[in-house]
Amino acid sequence: MNRARLTRGVIGAAGFLVAGEVFIRFVMSEDLLFPAPSAVFLEAVRLPADPDFVAGSLTTIANWGLGLLIAVAVAVPLGVLLGAVPPMERAVRPLVEFLRPIPSVAIIPLAILLIPSDQWMKVSVIVFASLWPILINTLYGMHDVDPLAKDSLRTFGFGELAVLRRVSLPNAAPFVATGVRIAAGIALVLAVSAELVAGGADGLGVYVVVAGSANRMDLIMAATVWAGVFGVLANIALLAGERRLFRWHALRTGAARS
Amino acid sequence: MTPTLRGRAVVVGAALALTLAGCGGGEEAPATSANSSGLEKTTIKVGVLPIPDPVSVYIANAKGFFKEEGLTVEPEIITGGAAAIPKIKNRELDISQTNYVSTFAAVAQGEKIKLVADMYQAGPNTFNIMVPKDSPIKTVAQLKGKTILVNNLNNVAQLAVETQLKVAGLTKDDVKFAEKPFPEMGNAINSGQAEAGWITEPFITANQSAFGFTKLADTMTGQTENLPIAGWMATDEWVQKYPKTLAAFQRAISKAQELASSDRKEIEKMIPTYTKIDAKTASVITLGTFPSELNVDRLQKVADLMAEYKYLSNPIDVSSVIVPAPTSG
Repeated sequence: MNRARLTRGVIGAAGFLVAGEVFIRFVMSEDLLFPAPSAVFLEAVRLPADPDFVAGSLTTIANWGLGLLIAVAVAVPLGVLLGAVPPMERAVRPLVEFLRPIPSVAIIPLAILLIPSDQWMKVSVIVFASLWPILINTLYGMHDVDPLAKDSLRTFGFGELAVLRRVSLPNAAPFVATGVRIAAGIALVLAVSAELVAGGADGLGVYVVVAGSANRMDLIMAATVWAGVFGVLANIALLAGERRLFRWHALRTGAARS
Repeated sequence: MTPTLRGRAVVVGAALALTLAGCGGGEEAPATSANSSGLEKTTIKVGVLPIPDPVSVYIANAKGFFKEEGLTVEPEIITGGAAAIPKIKNRELDISQTNYVSTFAAVAQGEKIKLVADMYQAGPNTFNIMVPKDSPIKTVAQLKGKTILVNNLNNVAQLAVETQLKVAGLTKDDVKFAEKPFPEMGNAINSGQAEAGWITEPFITANQSAFGFTKLADTMTGQTENLPIAGWMATDEWVQKYPKTLAAFQRAISKAQELASSDRKEIEKMIPTYTKIDAKTASVITLGTFPSELNVDRLQKVADLMAEYKYLSNPIDVSSVIVPAPTSG
């Protein structure tokens, strides 16, 4: 990202916050109470000194990471398998298309009932939610392979496994990475939502539940800001990883313009 | 959980592991032999709401009442009494906070749950119907046709409001109930979504000081005077399987409840450690009482009210739902 873009981004964000501050302080009726961005920001700065918040964040991040890893470990091989064996994909696809649109938050109560461990319940819903973008993107990547490249290899006497390894997998990899990045955002939403619904010993969502019971809207918003920061950081890290690993892909598709 | 609590849990766990390892007898040395009190289970997880009601579990932890019983109690935040039922059923939690209306409703639906200890009982001005500063509504009778916010529909909130409507000659059909979490009630009422709200602490104090809300009625008067609100529950199965552990929990909780009842300072000191209610707020909020024994007659009143207002289709004999503490000495 170049400097001018960054500057514009900062100006945009700052403008939004100033507008929010002005609106809440001067425009919104005094009969309504909502913490202004400056108050939220102040609490957000203080939060890392709160041991409950730190412990909660670590728990949430651990569940988030674990859930995402399991989802990758399940969805990528599955996607490759289904992509490589079309009849199998045709058999499984209706099931996937049925499960995929189920709002993951809606399965949390079911998960609470079925899974006796609080942590595994939370990890399970994270896995369920992050599975689909990774699986679908992997499939998409497998389909997108240039048939000419495959045929060329076959002409030179390479077997199907070699074609998979030399053409299909490298071609699908950038799609998989994009799927993982999309899934990371969804996984964070579920990590926090599961805590909001189910409670628990600690967690970012648990912290929000506790703050809400004490009428601390400022703390709720501050914790939410941190959840956003974690999400942005994860996105930046994954994006940087993608750029480094798949530079050739970005160049080929012209995505390098960003 | 506070770091000190967690630290203590780790230390106790490590000590237990060492003791077990020291026994070296393998299968002949079950966990029960690791403690002198003969408990079937020495570490239990209990569900609590982050509000003043379950303060005694934190007092008992801080004062070592559980430790004296050979018990380690790990509190875990729940989001409501009804939401905790699946968690005690699937054994994620051993014991959980609940409110009595939720419990009796669940028992009527066939849930196999027992009440094992009392926790919180309403006092004057702990659950009020509140209206905004310049509200034209001055009596409960004027709520006719208006919307009242409650934290949960068809639960203790609505039941308590109905008892006051009855005094004013109204029924639930004369008003509209809408569900709203406590933290959002003030803004919702001020923006015209409702005319009144059933509010408890610390939100009574918060809405008074922020918006000048006033009390329309104390819902814990008349039929609901000193209404038992919250208690501890466990599944029938758990109660049968861990009788000694339960008795240890009951003794320690009862002791902490006595301390809480005798000295409000103990409560005020403890609240900021597990909620985000600060010390200043904790010192001014109105609190109910913390009974140290599970009393059939008092709890029967809740079940009878529920039957009277059609929250239960059949009356419940409360004595079949409670497991009182074994009489000591």
